[in-house]
Amino acid sequence: MAPEDKNDGKNDGKNDGKNGNGSIVTLSGITKTFYRGKEPIPVLEGLDLDVPTGSFEALMGPSGSGKSTLLNIIAGLDRPTKGTVKVAGSDLTHMSDGELAKWRSQTIGFVFQSFNLIPVLTAAQNVELPLLLTGLSSAERKKRVATALRVVNLEDRMDHFPRQMSGGQEQRVAIARAIVNDPKIIVADEPTGDLDRKSADDVLHLMEQLNKEFGKTIFMVTHDPAAAERASVQRKLDKGTLV
Amino acid sequence: MNLMTYARRNIFRRRGRTILTVLGVALTILIFSGMRTVVAAWEAGAEEARADRIASRHKNSIVMLLPKRYVDDVRAVPGVDSATYAVWFGSKDPKKRTEFFAGFAVDHESWFQVMDEFELAPAALEEWKRTPNGAVLGDLLAKTLEVKVGDRVTIQSDIYPGDWEFVVKGIYKPLRKTADRNSFIFRWDFLNNDPRGDVMRDQIGWVLSRIKDPTQSAAISKQIDTMFDQRDDQTLTQSERAFQLGWLGMFSSLLKAFDIVTLIILLVMALILANTIAMAVRERTHEYGVLRAIGFQPGHIVGFVLGEALLVGALGGLVGIVFTVLLINGVIGPAVEDGMGAWFPYFRAPFKVIAMAFGAATLAGVLAGAYPAWQASRRKVTDALRRID
Repeated sequence: MAPEDKNDGKNDGKNDGKNGNGSIVTLSGITKTFYRGKEPIPVLEGLDLDVPTGSFEALMGPSGSGKSTLLNIIAGLDRPTKGTVKVAGSDLTHMSDGELAKWRSQTIGFVFQSFNLIPVLTAAQNVELPLLLTGLSSAERKKRVATALRVVNLEDRMDHFPRQMSGGQEQRVAIARAIVNDPKIIVADEPTGDLDRKSADDVLHLMEQLNKEFGKTIFMVTHDPAAAERASVQRKLDKGTLV
Repeated sequence: MNLMTYARRNIFRRRGRTILTVLGVALTILIFSGMRTVVAAWEAGAEEARADRIASRHKNSIVMLLPKRYVDDVRAVPGVDSATYAVWFGSKDPKKRTEFFAGFAVDHESWFQVMDEFELAPAALEEWKRTPNGAVLGDLLAKTLEVKVGDRVTIQSDIYPGDWEFVVKGIYKPLRKTADRNSFIFRWDFLNNDPRGDVMRDQIGWVLSRIKDPTQSAAISKQIDTMFDQRDDQTLTQSERAFQLGWLGMFSSLLKAFDIVTLIILLVMALILANTIAMAVRERTHEYGVLRAIGFQPGHIVGFVLGEALLVGALGGLVGIVFTVLLINGVIGPAVEDGMGAWFPYFRAPFKVIAMAFGAATLAGVLAGAYPAWQASRRKVTDALRRID
């Protein structure tokens, strides 16, 4: 489905993309412990979280508070040591790595701090990457790429390589890549961290637009209070618990 | 765009490194092709052996002789069309213009009838048949020994003492590219009638028979060997190809050494490729993490790395083949044929060597990429995303 279409909340046609309580993310009793050798390092401790469908939430907190770990668990990149994770109607707790990868490709749109575009591919090819995992025809893929780039206002930069673009433009291409598959939720890890104020504003404005106009749920980790203010909900994580 | 686009674009991401790697692979392919060409040229005679010819030699060893009367017995075997014979002379040039050339004392009546890959003018053949001390030389040998028809030529032997003087009665040309152009052929009866040949009187080295039906080669060979089974000297009759390989078997240690060096070269090539691919994969750990995050499976990562390794290997192989064709087939080959024609009448990299070289380069690419690909695919996504080079 193209990004201009409103999300109908369905997940593989098997569920409504919600966890039964109107939330798109439901975390229960999440504990995450890392180990340095045999020494346990608790990062998240008994955390519960509900993110309503269609919300734009910002998660703040000091370095080492577990923000990125929480984001990785929501995005299906990491598993909790204890607790259950339900996102967009799917229980991620018992999914295999392969199932999680497939689920991510259909459900999650990623926006990273350092854009993470592939330098040898053009803007259009970078945006097309997630579509290679679908069975779409080349013509259909091109159509969707053009739509996604139009949403981020970079249609004219389609054939530019990342090195030929500014940081703000690169991040907008990354957002186009995140939405091209029409994900149910967009997770953003410090999306404005590497940008100047003006570019950061543009990116945040775009994210607001995706949330308000296209109904995308956005969960954003940020250090930047100005960025957090643009979200409809601000949460704070400290020492592994939400405060 | 398709999945291979990414692997293809990655090849020239570090242009200098890729060019050096491709050149490294190309040079090893050149050396590989050169060595395989030596082996192929060595075996070319056997490879192009005639299917309708069989050779009988002493059962115990190729250096042991057979009674000359055996030839008539072989000629009487049903299915044998014609037969000729020869004995090794062990020729040397007293003036040292060439280190080695083959010399045979042969049956002048039947030799060129059976060995029809050589072209000798009918008048020259008749003249040779009328001249007991007449000799017929390959065109390259005649050039090396600086003789022409009518000249006298003196050679020596490792086996028979003294100088042996002949009159050149003909110069043959090859009708097949691998046919030996450096042989010195003279009459067996001349050797047999000379007192210095007493030690081998009325004996021959081998019988070459042309058979009417090549599919009967094995049956006729068996029939010939059975015929001599109860005699003092038993025979071993083989297809001409097996017979030629028997000759080559005397140099098997050398060929084995070539095989070992060839394997080492392939190993070096794989290491060059493995180093490049391992560096590239390490540099792109974070990027592979991003791809995994957006949904690419570990198998895709394996495909990207192996695809890139295979393409670099194949590119190196192609450049190596261009080097091979230009250098071996264009420069070294003609020079070897001129200077060492006795050993290598035809010295060019054959298609099978070129195909083998290309296959080796691509296979080395895949092998070199296997471990880095496996490693890259197994890394946890979150670990890969944390890694920034």
